[in-house]
Amino acid sequence: MRCDDARAAISLRLDGELPGDLDVRELEGHTDACAECTGFERHAERVRAALRFEAVGAVPDLAPAVVARQQPPGTSGRRVAADGRAPRATAPRPRRPLVVAAALAAIAGMAAGAAFVGLGSEPRSPAAADLPDRVLAAQTGIDSVDAGFRLVESGLAGGGGERRLDGRLVYAAPESLALTLRAPGSRDDDDLRLVVDGEHWWQSTVRACAPLPDRAACTDGARRWVRSVRGREPFSESSPVPLELINPVDGFNPASTPTGLGIRTIAGRRAVGVVVTAAQLAAFLDGLSVGSHLRAVHPSDPVELWLDDEHLVPLEVTVRAADGVDRARWASGLGFTDRPGATVLDFTVTSVAINEPVAARAFAAPAREAPDEAVDAGFRPGKGPAGPVPSDLPEGFRPYRSGTIRGTGGPTIAVDSWTDGRAWLAVRSTRDWPGGRLFGGLGPSVRTIDLGEAGIGYVSDGGRRIALHGDGRDAVVSGSVTADELRAAAAGLGITGLPVPRSWAESATATVAEATDAVAGLLVARDLDGFGPPAIRVADGTVTQVYAGAGDLGFTLVQSGVDHLAPPADGDAVGVEVRGAAGRYSAERGQLEWVEGGAAVGLSSHTLTLPDLLALAAELEPA
Amino acid sequence: MEEPEPALIRAAAAGDIAAFERLVRAFQEPVWRFLRRLLGDAGAAEDVAQEAFLRVFRRLPSFSFEAKFSTWVFQIARNAGVDELRSRRRRLRLASLTPPPRPRAAVAEAVAEIDAALASLPVDLREAILLVEVLGLRYREVARVLGVPEGTVKSRVFSARSRLHRWSTADEERASGEV
Repeated sequence: MRCDDARAAISLRLDGELPGDLDVRELEGHTDACAECTGFERHAERVRAALRFEAVGAVPDLAPAVVARQQPPGTSGRRVAADGRAPRATAPRPRRPLVVAAALAAIAGMAAGAAFVGLGSEPRSPAAADLPDRVLAAQTGIDSVDAGFRLVESGLAGGGGERRLDGRLVYAAPESLALTLRAPGSRDDDDLRLVVDGEHWWQSTVRACAPLPDRAACTDGARRWVRSVRGREPFSESSPVPLELINPVDGFNPASTPTGLGIRTIAGRRAVGVVVTAAQLAAFLDGLSVGSHLRAVHPSDPVELWLDDEHLVPLEVTVRAADGVDRARWASGLGFTDRPGATVLDFTVTSVAINEPVAARAFAAPAREAPDEAVDAGFRPGKGPAGPVPSDLPEGFRPYRSGTIRGTGGPTIAVDSWTDGRAWLAVRSTRDWPGGRLFGGLGPSVRTIDLGEAGIGYVSDGGRRIALHGDGRDAVVSGSVTADELRAAAAGLGITGLPVPRSWAESATATVAEATDAVAGLLVARDLDGFGPPAIRVADGTVTQVYAGAGDLGFTLVQSGVDHLAPPADGDAVGVEVRGAAGRYSAERGQLEWVEGGAAVGLSSHTLTLPDLLALAAELEPA
Repeated sequence: MEEPEPALIRAAAAGDIAAFERLVRAFQEPVWRFLRRLLGDAGAAEDVAQEAFLRVFRRLPSFSFEAKFSTWVFQIARNAGVDELRSRRRRLRLASLTPPPRPRAAVAEAVAEIDAALASLPVDLREAILLVEVLGLRYREVARVLGVPEGTVKSRVFSARSRLHRWSTADEERASGEV
């Protein structure tokens, strides 16, 4: 039998169309001996898997639009637009942003993310290797920063595809900050002015004054919008204090090793460069976007980050468009004209003074007497500690702002804070927490931590918050300190942490031992650079491990004892080989799935790309 | 694929919107999936699928019940898809003779591969393999949808598989030849 005949027969057999008179033994005799024909068959099976591993989930519901578009015979209601064309009954379905780009990073030929996840094999510059620790340490050395910078957005649909803004950032420890942005040559006031000064913050922005059919253009006097917020609690994360602009702690916490770009000079200062992803630097980019409506960047976009070599203040940040079909689709869905590898956002410091005196008027309130919008965030300062005080504070920490928040109908919350200058620690506590979930807004991924005599605590956010559920008192400790210092503070509150009641959302939090009992052959990610231990949940024979890394970076590993994959919930799934087994990948959900050792495994992330996920999957080990 | 009740088809043909809506819901998933692979674009697939169902509705009164209803719907969907490809080609005024470049090696087995590989196939081979693989049709049904003899379907499906295979191995050779 010739290869052509054998393959034609293989093709027919796959489709169940093999004629009865064909000698199957002859076919099998050929394929047993012919690697090429076996390869042909395997490939055809992979194509089939890719094309059939699709399901209904992502399929748009066409019925309403179709029904509305056709003209029912015998009815008089014409649904035709003025131009004579049948109108679309529904607006075009908004294309969900595809957050995972299956693409190679455009710069330096390296997979963005993989390198800093700790799976990359690129040699790292010595300067970059110890950067995370230095960034964390540097914050205590910064008293003030006054920097001028230029911001360029590219890939925009209109206006020549670019928007330039000049800005100034003034910071004084521990929590005063002024950020201004204006278009170059603009005769008007600043486009944006944001001032945060302890308990009070203001934001002044330009209103959209374009005349619309039902709205007249606003008068010159009403062109600005001033929002004033009082009662801001110390180091509140819910109001914009873009401290990440000064010192991108979150971009590296807890400990990752970024890939080095080397050393160069920016604004007269020695700068050390690293490559990270937009996901990793999310807090910095969010800080920059406050009130200024900067264009979106994709989490997988590679970012060249240049930090001041002495103080680790960002001096230049260049975000480039990642490569890949899904990244391109994401961009076009948002109306961007990004080309792979092209710069989409560039932040460059043009002048900088560090630890030089800053004039107090830098944080002055906007000139307008009456704000357009006045908000009370509810914090009322008080004298002395309002709640429990940690017996073990980091060295040099002294009391800062204290007070209470009395919500209408909500619990009364005591807030205390300490600082040594830039680094800070805050404790929020309440005696009347209604329960249902942990106090402190730790989010869905929580793991337990042993606090010794202080019982157990719950950790989240890459280790940045520890919550305790005590008898009659709930508390949460947060701060920009090391994990050990945070743990020591939590253990020294005089509260004995209890396991949360079974009815609370976090009660399913489990240990590795419990998870191993639930699923045979449990896989874990060990010693992953930049990631802490996972939050583990066991429910109904399914083990969920949530791993959090720097910034928004994270992934979820789900395993169940079921020995087959459920029908995919996504129209985008394609066949892919994972750890030597046939699996599938859904770009829309950022999920890789396969079956291994009798257990279905799902590995998903909204911030890692497919190459990262595949590299990560290859690194998984039995628990 | 379960065939709809003749009564439901007749009701829709007589202008019963609720009945027509049920038909759309019954077929929208395979039609959209087929078009998405044929066109390589989910958004275009949505638009063309809508257009296809509008054609189905207009032609319902002429449905003869001699063929399977599903085959008839797929035929209309396929024609709408091919129309879209033709108008695209007119719009672009160029017919690509070479396959589009593939993404680089590390992503080879990933998202873009299958669509890129499918895009490299001539439309007659692409639609044949998609009718078999996406919709799971027998050769006999594919022959009806395409209006060609069954033997032609057999050879087109085989040609499509051979070219997709060559596409993947040629790239491996290119990759291994690179230093």
